[in-house]
Amino acid sequence: MNNVMGVIFASDNEARLTDLTIHRTTASLPFCGRYRLIDFTLSNFVNSGITKIALVTRSNYSSLMDHIRMGRDWDLNRKNDGISVFPPFVLNSSREMYKGKVEALYSIQGFIRSGREEYVLMSNGNIAMNIDLDKVFKKHIETGADVTMLTHKEMTGTSRRLVVERDNSDRVIDMYLSETPQPEEREVGLNVYLVKKAKLLGLVDYAYARGYFDFEKDVLTKRAGELKIYAYHVEEYAAIVDDIKSFYKENMNLLDSDNRNKLFYGHGVIFTKVKDSVPTIYKEGAQVTNSLIADGCIINGKVENSILFRGVVVEKGAIVSNSIIMENGMIMENASVNYAITDKDVTINPGRTIGGYETYPMVIAKGKKV
Amino acid sequence: MTNRNKKECVAMLLAGGQGTRLGVLTRDVAKPAVPFGGKYRIIDFPLSNCVNSGIDTVGVLTQYQPFELNQYIGNGQPWDLDRLSGGVYVLPPYMRGKSGEWYKGTANAIYQNIMFIDRFDPEYVLILSGDHIYKMDYDEMLSAHKEKKADCTIAVIDVPIEQASRFGIMNTKEDGKIYEFEEKPKKPKSTNASMGIYIFNWKVLREYLIADEMDKESENDFGKNIIPNMLNDGKVLYAYQFSGYWKDVGTVSSLWESNMDLLNPESGINLNDVTWKIYARNSAEPPHFASQFADIRNSIVSEGANVSGKVVNSIISHSAYVGKDAEIYDSVVLPGAQVLDGAKIHHAIIAEGAVIEKNAIVGETQTAPVKGEWQIALVGPMARVKEGEKILPGQMVEEGK
Repeated sequence: MNNVMGVIFASDNEARLTDLTIHRTTASLPFCGRYRLIDFTLSNFVNSGITKIALVTRSNYSSLMDHIRMGRDWDLNRKNDGISVFPPFVLNSSREMYKGKVEALYSIQGFIRSGREEYVLMSNGNIAMNIDLDKVFKKHIETGADVTMLTHKEMTGTSRRLVVERDNSDRVIDMYLSETPQPEEREVGLNVYLVKKAKLLGLVDYAYARGYFDFEKDVLTKRAGELKIYAYHVEEYAAIVDDIKSFYKENMNLLDSDNRNKLFYGHGVIFTKVKDSVPTIYKEGAQVTNSLIADGCIINGKVENSILFRGVVVEKGAIVSNSIIMENGMIMENASVNYAITDKDVTINPGRTIGGYETYPMVIAKGKKV
Repeated sequence: MTNRNKKECVAMLLAGGQGTRLGVLTRDVAKPAVPFGGKYRIIDFPLSNCVNSGIDTVGVLTQYQPFELNQYIGNGQPWDLDRLSGGVYVLPPYMRGKSGEWYKGTANAIYQNIMFIDRFDPEYVLILSGDHIYKMDYDEMLSAHKEKKADCTIAVIDVPIEQASRFGIMNTKEDGKIYEFEEKPKKPKSTNASMGIYIFNWKVLREYLIADEMDKESENDFGKNIIPNMLNDGKVLYAYQFSGYWKDVGTVSSLWESNMDLLNPESGINLNDVTWKIYARNSAEPPHFASQFADIRNSIVSEGANVSGKVVNSIISHSAYVGKDAEIYDSVVLPGAQVLDGAKIHHAIIAEGAVIEKNAIVGETQTAPVKGEWQIALVGPMARVKEGEKILPGQMVEEGK
């Protein structure tokens, strides 16, 4: 995959993640105890041999910069290539933040043009999967496609999805955007595209000149007829996280060993920023079942069906169930937390009870004390 | 021209020991590479201490089973030792001209690397060993060394008098000046045990190393030759009193004990200390999983582990597996080891990649050490204990045997 460069969009659909993305981009959302969502895309790229990567951010990107630093944890601190982070780009003409992928791509066309790579693989930063992208590249060459898009089957919800219809050869014959749930699974796009560099620059130029900014809506669906678009169906585990519901569900799905094995022991290793936490300590009062526990926790209470991120403390008599407790969460004595997502540095004071419902988990914003 | 690589202090870590007393644990790896505390290796302690003390140039002297240690240290990045100037260097013995030989002793190992140290033109050299668990600020020791204008400063720790005859004992005047050194004395006069940590003025040490090499009778050892010779010549040697947690993990029993100390808040070793982190090469594993059958108490569990059984007073290292109805008490399960359903483990160390098959029994509960040694059952790296088999306390199981 030496001939492919990567572009990752750090922001997509922030609005639907409310409190969780006030301080960060979707890509830097904490996930599964010790990761951030972007770790999956970055690891997939690196494990497939893509080492020249542009990371395009839009807003609130300081947590992302802090996470990525020089890219060392993904082996991307290279003399040649490596990761380049693009802070939000304000277009001179309109003095506005760029809108959509088209403008984002337009703003980094210099970077794209300058690379020796002939192909561009672009992806949103909010997809959890672990696959060999080299296979996508091979298929792209084989089919002679203009665009190869990754798709998978899922039960769609109210989040925007690009629904795809393909023929026997996987050529996309129709596609449309949908935000209405359907009773059965549909083949939808994962927002990952492989395009020849020259083709992509042409598409971006064309769309930009006409004031279009939405890659899916204005480029792909509008020009589906004239472009040779192929779907690459992902059989492996893949999850898009773009609202609280999917965030909760996709985290909880990983309590299932089968899903966890697929995601973490699939094609390659999933790398993340190393924090050198000590291993987790279980005290005398610990009672932990069906839970994922990251390093650096101290547990002296009850934890069930939950995910604890690094450095979480569960004091004596406290109960954490069906919840996601992010980094340095502090659940004090006899407190009880059920169906909740607590962001980083949240403290639940002694004896307090908080909770939501499976379909509507309670979200507690970063740094709050309850 | 000034030496742009000049360093005030260079650390030399003696990692060459075979560690025979650790039995099968060191069959394939050098002692400093032996796993510890769920996610660490012994060498992480001196390396992290160096970095936390502001020492950025470390030579690791190794000659026994170096591959794993080499791979583990790599470019030194996990310890922040990948520097433009300095950093961590693995230093095996090498040929020069027509001669070349193994490291004959601790002093000889440094002697053979005089050229390495000279490249940094240091004022001081810190000598460390790779088999101790402790957190120590070497910079404080260096300050004391400078303050006393010593030629050599030796870190000492107060040990119980009944144990003193197992150590090198420094007899000092009130201000800490050493007037006598006794290696494992039958009748110890004091309880200041040498921790095997020395700071030397490089110029002085350099002369002594060269002289020692000429002496055909010498065992080329710091404790037996260099230190006594310096004392005889009236050089200024001071003891530096250390009072924190320190443990020699050279035996199976002491290695087990030191692991158990991590579970005891009273023991004095606290790794959860943001001001003095112990760094380790990361295994890139997801969080550990405690299944619906798990029952874990008073234990340490690291990333990537998968626990379905009962774990009490034990250390479960990264990527280890504990099956349903398995019971692990007072034991250390090293990375990637598997304890299958229904197996019972007591007072044992299960080494990397070992498999304890279903319903096997390893070790027995013990209440006190026998003659200072716990009878720890040890299942070696990649070894298999067959279904229903029983391993006795103190027994050692090796792969393929």
